[in-house]
Amino acid sequence: MKTDIVDDAIEIWFGPQHVSAHGWATKLTLVGDYIVECDPNAGYFHRSAEKVMEFRNFRQGALIMERLCMLEAFLAEYPYVTAVEKIAGLEVPERAKVMRTIMMEASRIHSLQFWWGQFAAELGLFTMLLWPWVDREFFLDAFEELSGSRHAVSYNTPGGVKYDFNEGVIAKLERAMDRIEDRLPKFKDMLLRGPTFRVRTQGIGQFTAEQGLKWGLSGPNIKACGVPMDLRKDDPDPSLAYDMCDWEVPTVHNEDHPGESDAYDRMVQRFLEVETSLGIIKQLLPQVPDGPIIDPKHRAKANRLPEGEAYGRVEGTRGVTTLWLKTQDKAQTPWRAKIRGPCFSSYYSLKHLVPSSKFADFIVIFGSLDPYPGWWDR
Amino acid sequence: MQTWIDGIVDWLFGIPTWLHDVISWWVRAIFWWLSSIWAIFVYVWSVVVYNIGFLFKAVIFPGLIFIVMGIIFAVWSTRKLWGRIQARRGPFHIGKYGGLQLFADAIKLISKETIIPEKARRWMYRFLPSFLLIIVLLPFAFIPWDSSWFIADLSVSLVLVFAFLTAVPVIALLSGWISGSKYSLIGGFRAANNQFACEIPMIISSVGPALLAGSLSVMGIAQAQAGIWYVVLLPVNMVTFLVAAIASVGTFPFDAPVADSEIIFGWRTEFSGIYFTMTYFAEFAEQLLYSALLVTLFFGGFWGLPFIPAVVNFIIKFLVVFFFFVIVTSSFYRLRQDQIVRYCWKYLLPLSVLNVVVALLAIAYFPGLALLVIGG
Repeated sequence: MKTDIVDDAIEIWFGPQHVSAHGWATKLTLVGDYIVECDPNAGYFHRSAEKVMEFRNFRQGALIMERLCMLEAFLAEYPYVTAVEKIAGLEVPERAKVMRTIMMEASRIHSLQFWWGQFAAELGLFTMLLWPWVDREFFLDAFEELSGSRHAVSYNTPGGVKYDFNEGVIAKLERAMDRIEDRLPKFKDMLLRGPTFRVRTQGIGQFTAEQGLKWGLSGPNIKACGVPMDLRKDDPDPSLAYDMCDWEVPTVHNEDHPGESDAYDRMVQRFLEVETSLGIIKQLLPQVPDGPIIDPKHRAKANRLPEGEAYGRVEGTRGVTTLWLKTQDKAQTPWRAKIRGPCFSSYYSLKHLVPSSKFADFIVIFGSLDPYPGWWDR
Repeated sequence: MQTWIDGIVDWLFGIPTWLHDVISWWVRAIFWWLSSIWAIFVYVWSVVVYNIGFLFKAVIFPGLIFIVMGIIFAVWSTRKLWGRIQARRGPFHIGKYGGLQLFADAIKLISKETIIPEKARRWMYRFLPSFLLIIVLLPFAFIPWDSSWFIADLSVSLVLVFAFLTAVPVIALLSGWISGSKYSLIGGFRAANNQFACEIPMIISSVGPALLAGSLSVMGIAQAQAGIWYVVLLPVNMVTFLVAAIASVGTFPFDAPVADSEIIFGWRTEFSGIYFTMTYFAEFAEQLLYSALLVTLFFGGFWGLPFIPAVVNFIIKFLVVFFFFVIVTSSFYRLRQDQIVRYCWKYLLPLSVLNVVVALLAIAYFPGLALLVIGG
């Protein structure tokens, strides 16, 4: 005689060989069609980046960082670069600041486009996977024109940037932005106004702002709750040019559940993010000043760093990405580099978000937080 | 006087006789054997000659070979159309416009290793996919491609078609069960859930045409639409039948049974090689079957433009309906399984019943109209 419903529970591993689980595995306990327990597991994507960084010099370290998340390569390498600049005392030229900001925002748009497609495919619409990915190619073309590489750009370097803008880069960036502006209404139709999309996402994976802050969420996930928490505004980086343009932190205010966000709100938030980024790029592109693109003393200063520690951080596509760097005197490599990826907290917040939801909704909740395994396994 | 030598001589002379008897027995036996084979051959040949029309229909057109080629074409056209809708090109390497791609795929899939999971029931694992394909191919016998081009015409063929189709989710549930995988099991339950949601609206939607035609035969319903297509009289039933058919096939937006981002490939997860090919073909065969049923029940069957052959009329409408299937499958997100049940029971079922009631009232109170519809 069964006394407990949990006697009927089955354990099911979502990953690591699942088609939607690319580099992660979560153990789910199902009772009927409902998930009663969710156990996220890290470690399936581990590449020991922090240890590798201890054996690379201060120019090579940024390359390790950008390989953690290739989708936001410009953003991912920035915390390392800025930490090195702080310890070495490098001055970033004005031109490099603006160029960095432009390319970081372009990287953000391209990463969000990738995510629209991935989320739509997780919800079952393969058409919507490919349409944003076609437009994403235009940004990749611009990156290729700039750095010769489509994903591993290795653009930011201590003291400035490696490659200068030319007419081709600007033309391709403008073409990519025209394309995305032209296509945004279509994507809104297909994603936000689609009835089958709404019934799948509204009310799914709902949490309040307090819960989100407690779990350590940041970026679009917490902004969708109506909290205007954005490093670009809260802590303007002196080596970036966000203060040169006029923009507001985008937040979603849902009338039905103020102060809370569901999967649908997070989708809306990411559309707002793209629009904000487009506005920033448009304002910054005409005001790129003339001058050098890199500190002339970067070869001497970034070769061997003095003893010190610095904390580099940036508002990434998925949230706040930080890196703590400690160096020893006149060493060529860091003594310790500690990465805090934005997705670690969003991945482990599944533990609280997923139980009592349906099994079919698990991938919707997971996808709506936009986690990338490289950020929690490092 | 007989000596012992005479006995030996008799014995020696007896050997040829004995040999002759043995050989002649064998010759007669072989001759009897051959003649009986010949008789069987003559009998079969006479049957073939006598039923040559039926055999041609059953094997070549509109039978097995036509349907299998149709499935291959359907897979190709689906992939090509999906490619066009999704801003890519679809298959184009092998053959003109990638037309031979599916043959290449079939050869590849058939020659793949079949991996049977340890926990699977091996006998059922080998048996179920082919059984599924046969079950799905059988109802094509009742599809009237023309007033003369059909394989079988029974007075209850509509009921028989649904009887065959009801077995499909049972096989899906069984294959999920015997595959020895949790994902397959969940997919099997979801397939049964889909059928639970959509079967009743679908069958009730087909009651309207049967009532108007006064026949349960698919052929009879098609022939009764000489005057007017039933889509004009029963538009709501047409829509409910179409939606229920999509749900029954289990493609988007009702593809919860094989939701690849949730349960890998549903009840087909563990099938590999030729067994996967069979289940894959069965899905497209089911789509083709529902397209043909829609044309037969609502779009006038083989009636259409008078100056082109009836078969061509049927196939044109059939392709249009199949094209609609492809459009739908590439433009919706996947519904959750409880949402499928809710929508099917909340909207499809009342609507289909409503239109049947309207048709009943029309037949009862305006018999002249009904006669006009039936065609006198």
